[in-house]
Amino acid sequence: MFIKMFAIKRLTGCASSSSIYQIQKSLPSIHFKFTHSNADAPTFDMENPFEKEKRQCILCKYNITPDYKNIKLLSQFQSPYTGRIYGRHITGLCEHKHQHVEAEIVKAQSAGLMTTYIKEPCFLKDPKLFDPENPVRPHRF
Amino acid sequence: MITYELMLLLRIMPKPELVSTLKRTAESIYNKGGIIRKIENLGTKDMPYKTSVHGVVYNKASYYLMEFNVPPSSLHDILDEYGRDIDIIRRRIYKKAEPEYQECTLHEELQPAPYRKNVQELITQARKLDKPKFQYNTGLDYYPFQK
Repeated sequence: MFIKMFAIKRLTGCASSSSIYQIQKSLPSIHFKFTHSNADAPTFDMENPFEKEKRQCILCKYNITPDYKNIKLLSQFQSPYTGRIYGRHITGLCEHKHQHVEAEIVKAQSAGLMTTYIKEPCFLKDPKLFDPENPVRPHRF
Repeated sequence: MITYELMLLLRIMPKPELVSTLKRTAESIYNKGGIIRKIENLGTKDMPYKTSVHGVVYNKASYYLMEFNVPPSSLHDILDEYGRDIDIIRRRIYKKAEPEYQECTLHEELQPAPYRKNVQELITQARKLDKPKFQYNTGLDYYPFQK
């Protein structure tokens, strides 16, 4: 192999740097041969044992789709002081569920089913799905 | 086929008048070539906020829900007809939602910023604005551009 490259260099008379490039290209590549696996070798088809549990939001966990007619559920995501819809960092919902809830609340308010400026007094004693009093960052609710 | 839901708020009136109003609303759907699947009475209750319609202010209403199928082109006409009816306080037509299953992505959203998909997309978009720089180790023995 090596002898061949020298021959080419003499024939073409090319510059030294380009011949170096050609020699580099002609270096033999080393192939690693895998021996037949024995019974003691580990099999790497196990799931990651250190994988954390995938955390799900409340609505996905119980497979609930928000509906504009179900104002009791929607009011749980509404502030009792201002009637505004809490953000995702407070409610802890995943993106598409939060968007669904927001869309359904707007539908319900438009259809004359849900209040806009307060939370209905009959829903004030409903169980809290999250703690809005200790926010991660300050909110205007 | 798209099923529509009509949320109807009717003013408080004696029963025979209520019946005639509901009949009128149903007839307008039938005239457009539609079918009604069900009519639900959600009761007579206080409205969450007062509404002023046709020159009258209302605080209470009778709530009715109608589920129907109708050609989508006639929805605008139906809403227009109901808008002119003085017995109807509020009318809203929504598509009946068919829930699509989507996996919960909360786990991915709670990760620190560099591991989140939307942040990574933003970074790749920003990288596209970087000017391509000439690599000196590609085997070319001269600088091809004018310095």
